[in-house]
Amino acid sequence: MTEAEPASPAKALLLLPVLLLLAMFFASAIHLFSSGFTDDNGWSLRYFRQIVNRPDYHVVFARTILSSLVVSVLSVVLSYPIALLLWRTDRWRNTLLIVVLVPWLVSLVVRTYGWLVLLGPKGVINAMLAWVGVIDQPLALMFNDLGIIIGLTHVLIPFAVISILSSLLAIEANLEEASGVLGAGGYQTFRYIVLPLSLPGAFTALMVIFLASIGAIVTPILLGGMSHQFVGSQIYQEVMYTFNINKAAAWSICLLSISFLSLLLLKLIERRLIKGQE
Amino acid sequence: MSSMNRLAKVLGIVLLASLPAPIMIVAGASFSDSSYIQFPPEALSLRWYRETIIDPRWPRAFAISIGIAAVTAVIVTAFNFMAAYYTQRYAPRIASALELAIFSPLFFPHAAMGVAMVALIAKLDLIGTAPGIILAHLIVTLPFSYRPIHVALRSIDPDLIRAANVMGASEWRALNDIVLPMCRSGILTSLLFAGIISFDEVTVTMFLIGPNITTLPVQIFSFVQDSATPVLAAISTICVLVTFIAVLVLDRVAGLAFFVRRDGA
Repeated sequence: MTEAEPASPAKALLLLPVLLLLAMFFASAIHLFSSGFTDDNGWSLRYFRQIVNRPDYHVVFARTILSSLVVSVLSVVLSYPIALLLWRTDRWRNTLLIVVLVPWLVSLVVRTYGWLVLLGPKGVINAMLAWVGVIDQPLALMFNDLGIIIGLTHVLIPFAVISILSSLLAIEANLEEASGVLGAGGYQTFRYIVLPLSLPGAFTALMVIFLASIGAIVTPILLGGMSHQFVGSQIYQEVMYTFNINKAAAWSICLLSISFLSLLLLKLIERRLIKGQE
Repeated sequence: MSSMNRLAKVLGIVLLASLPAPIMIVAGASFSDSSYIQFPPEALSLRWYRETIIDPRWPRAFAISIGIAAVTAVIVTAFNFMAAYYTQRYAPRIASALELAIFSPLFFPHAAMGVAMVALIAKLDLIGTAPGIILAHLIVTLPFSYRPIHVALRSIDPDLIRAANVMGASEWRALNDIVLPMCRSGILTSLLFAGIISFDEVTVTMFLIGPNITTLPVQIFSFVQDSATPVLAAISTICVLVTFIAVLVLDRVAGLAFFVRRDGA
């Protein structure tokens, strides 16, 4: 349905419910900005100054940004073999897709709990390693950055698989055949045809995953613990334990600025890369 | 060359298998008889499932989650259908602007979204109420539900509707007899997708619960922090089962191709 028809003004009411929801979302976003710049006495930069002046908060920001970077790159790299496998299979694709989709859609808290069971000091991995005799002291696999990175990567890989697979499925089959006919081997075809054509999907995944991990709360709280805070877990504490919505809003504004700048940067890199290939 | 292919394939299989592994291990541990998490379980029993059902808090949170997911899915699908139908039929010029606005919540990191929602719901005095949680879930699921509906509607040839109108069918009749049946899979996808997302949502929801209402994932979250009983394994397994069944239904009624189709939408 693309060609417009004349409509009675009453029909425009059909847009109303969605517009109302969007209005509420945008109002809450604007409110978030105004409350970040206010305290009990009116406009103020107090909470931003607090955030900027605390060295331990700098560590939180650095940890959040660096871990999110690692998680995004790791997720995309690890997703490629899975996406290629699904792309290459015809008969089993649907079944394999279910194996990707179900973990993706299962609640974040359930999946993170799974990692708690695996990575804990008495967890399955440590128990197994001890049983085999490789270790006699449990390894510190969680309550540190490693735990957060493992948990977040696992949570976000399915999205990267879906995104890359969409790009792969859009590649025309005869392109590959042509490459084969012209004498290219499997690796060459992958390097010069498949990989470049799937880059847009990989970049979408990279951006969405960076955004998701930089704003994560549940995984850092459960797998990082109190000593390894993320911006998200700081925000959660501000709202739920110190009831300081204004400070939480200031944190959120910092978070939004970082994600906005990173998206801009990624877009630039993407344009460079894709242009460089043409 | 073929050895390289084989290596990539093996790697793909190993990585693919690792995706469901943690939840499978939790599911395995949920059938254990011991009072702490154990995998593989030494003795099999349904003890922790019994405890889950006996403790009234879990069935209650489960019912609340299912209820909120159902209401959210129906409302968000209806809203999106109305908006998408109107823009595509009468105002295609605003289609891309509307889409951009609908997708904008996706660019909000979860933590910032949580703070924005807690402020909104508090302003409306709906913290700790079902309508408050549903309202937040409507905003969170809006972009996910829009896409399948938009794609389904766009695939309908406008001449079909015009033909129906020429033959004397009213707008309503054409909608009912042509548009809705042809959008069936898009609508079902939206219902199930939004339902699953709402049922499993935790990051935004945990800011909005109150003494009288909590959802299943949020209750799991608060239990994980202060107790480690295998009840959590049992309840997690139930969560996984619900999502799994919903995905199977989705596959049956609409197909999963929607997730990996790249059609500019």
